Amino acid sequence: MAELTVPELDALGAFELALATVDTAAALQVVEGLLANGVPPVVVLTDVVATAQRNVGARWQRGDWTVAEEHAATAVAVAATEAVARHVRQLPVTRGKALVACAEREWHALPAMIIDCALRADGWDTTLLGASTPPLRLGQYLQDLGPDALAVSCSMLGALPTTRRFIEASTTAGIPIVVGGAAFGPDDVRARALGATAWAADAPSAVQAARELPTVVQMAEPLPADATAEQATLELSHRELAGRLQAVWEVDPAVDIAEDAINQTLHAVWAALLTGDVRPIPQTAQWIADLLSARDADPRHAVTLGQHLCTELRDYPLSHTLLSTSWPAAVGI
Amino acid sequence: MTSGGTIPDDVRNPLLADSAAVRAEIVDEVGLAMTGSLNLRRCVLQLLTGVKPDIADWAVVVWVNPRTGGLTLWGGDDPSATAKTSRRSIAGQALERVLVTGHTELLHVALEDPASDALATMIPNAGLREQAAALRPVDVLGLGLTARGVTLGALVMVRGQGRGFSEQDVAVGEQLAARASLALDSARLYEQTSRVAAALKESLVPPELPAIPGLDIAARYRPAIEHLDIGGDFYDVFTSGDEWLAVLGDVCGKGVDAAVLTGRARQSIRTAAHFEREPGALLAAFNTVFSQDTSNRFITLVCLRMRPAADGSSAEVDIAVAGHAGPVLVRADGRTEQLPIEGTVAGVVPRVDYPTTTVRLEQGDALLVFTDGVEEARGESGFYGTDRLIRLLREYAGAGADAMCGAVEQDVVEHLDGRAHDDIAVLAISCGGTLGWQS
Repeated sequence: MAELTVPELDALGAFELALATVDTAAALQVVEGLLANGVPPVVVLTDVVATAQRNVGARWQRGDWTVAEEHAATAVAVAATEAVARHVRQLPVTRGKALVACAEREWHALPAMIIDCALRADGWDTTLLGASTPPLRLGQYLQDLGPDALAVSCSMLGALPTTRRFIEASTTAGIPIVVGGAAFGPDDVRARALGATAWAADAPSAVQAARELPTVVQMAEPLPADATAEQATLELSHRELAGRLQAVWEVDPAVDIAEDAINQTLHAVWAALLTGDVRPIPQTAQWIADLLSARDADPRHAVTLGQHLCTELRDYPLSHTLLSTSWPAAVGI
Repeated sequence: MTSGGTIPDDVRNPLLADSAAVRAEIVDEVGLAMTGSLNLRRCVLQLLTGVKPDIADWAVVVWVNPRTGGLTLWGGDDPSATAKTSRRSIAGQALERVLVTGHTELLHVALEDPASDALATMIPNAGLREQAAALRPVDVLGLGLTARGVTLGALVMVRGQGRGFSEQDVAVGEQLAARASLALDSARLYEQTSRVAAALKESLVPPELPAIPGLDIAARYRPAIEHLDIGGDFYDVFTSGDEWLAVLGDVCGKGVDAAVLTGRARQSIRTAAHFEREPGALLAAFNTVFSQDTSNRFITLVCLRMRPAADGSSAEVDIAVAGHAGPVLVRADGRTEQLPIEGTVAGVVPRVDYPTTTVRLEQGDALLVFTDGVEEARGESGFYGTDRLIRLLREYAGAGADAMCGAVEQDVVEHLDGRAHDDIAVLAISCGGTLGWQS
């Protein structure tokens, strides 16, 4: 990311205030002011909108905001991104067609909107599908549009299985696919394991990656059969497993994070199974410990959640091994 | 790799391509890859990238437009390049013979003159001819692309110096052309149908919402057949005179048939609104027209007339309902209730009176209207239900129309957990946007 200039820093502050006060008019004013001053759209998106949005997520994580407050602030960021989109749609189309989508179960629509906007600013003729796109709908658009590129945003580990479906749909039609988002972590390991054509850490690198995509790609290789079979079984029994964990985990229900924590834990196991990358498991343990600490609960409950899950997953050999070797026995605060 | 980039692929060993068995395998590979796409252009790209480098060093696909007879030339050095030319430009040329008869033509290029007759008679574009000549080819091979009894185009291939097409190579090329033609023809048929569908769909997808001064407005739509993008639910927001109207409705049925009816309903309401903007009277007029028009179809509707104060501090909303769930009123302070407004479903009885109820929204208050796909969404624990909707919306008091609609959509879809559902439509209006909601 480029160093922020002074007006951009001021803008970031003003934009964050607009999100915190849910003041759409003020947020639009900041974004439109920057664009009018010639700040490139992708810089506005990356250094102002996306940066501020990360803090929105952090405020929920720290327990400062409810989910509704987080969503209200996000809606303001969405409105601001739409303003940037209106601006970039006036620029000429100089490249091919790009389809931008969120995997099914991915409800964070903003990152995909930002990527859509950044690609449009770079001259792509983009089509944006909204939050949680079912694979059938994606397939329909792939055939109807015949895009030169597909970009998929995935922030939730639980959406990685359908992201893999998207990779299959795209590469079966020979269409290259660039993926990105928090669920992929800080490098291309998971993207590569799932068979994506390219991985991007942020909007500018997504723009760069899209420029370098090959015209036609080969069908993605199948994933290891035992791991995918076990992940599919876990997915089928997800509600039941989550219910059992909820019943045994000792965290005070008033803390109100059990559902998120348990879902995330199971999803981390899915991710590790599909990608062979175990990092989501200890990271999820740490994330839960942070949530607990921020809400004045005992962070060591994160450790016991792993132990409960290990017991529940005794009939899932790969997952059991993953958990018993990667879920931390103690969490640093 | 620190911030992203293309993940490298294994490179095919070029030495392998010398064996005829391997070439036959490539024919299978290219054929399979092409059947993965129903998009004509993508299909052509699969073919053009698949033939290089094993079967040809350079290739173009010539495609005939059946309506105009004009030719599109795809490929060359860059597989994604396109050029156009007229049918007249190939009169009497070898390419025309291939296109008319579907028969293979193998022409030898005179070594001393690479831009010779052979290239000229097969490649009707100067730039492409130069590209081919630069390879100093010995032969140029023209193959008909014939599927289901029609020659749709031609595949023209060139190989560089010293790599002429043997008899066996021509046979492999013909096999490839036969496989490719079927895939291309399927893609052509699909594209034709999908173009018709897209043109019709255009008028039936939910409209973009207008910006209304003093009001914040948002919507979500998930059709039962999600990949169709259209269904039996609809909404519309428009201005008539100096007032704003919003309607949300549900035609009985799902899919394309229902969607066609929503298009007519939307048009009828817009037309009726020129003469009648009071929601009760508007629904009465619509009902009369609609019940005459369609003997056996009915429709549920909720209609809102919105009169916001210019500064966004308040808004008067008049509401009438035809056989539809009443709106949920979410006050900025969290008080949430479903308004007990009722009226007869439209399209059944020719003359019905609809009462109009008025509510006053203060800054941060919101109204949410929804179709029965919301409350009747069936999850593991039963129907989603209105109570759950009201509990959810209470948490979103003052959060703004978009956050509310997004929350309802996500909660309902998560409740469904992958189960089939009816069309789901949600529309929210919030007074004065969200200004000043939080400290």
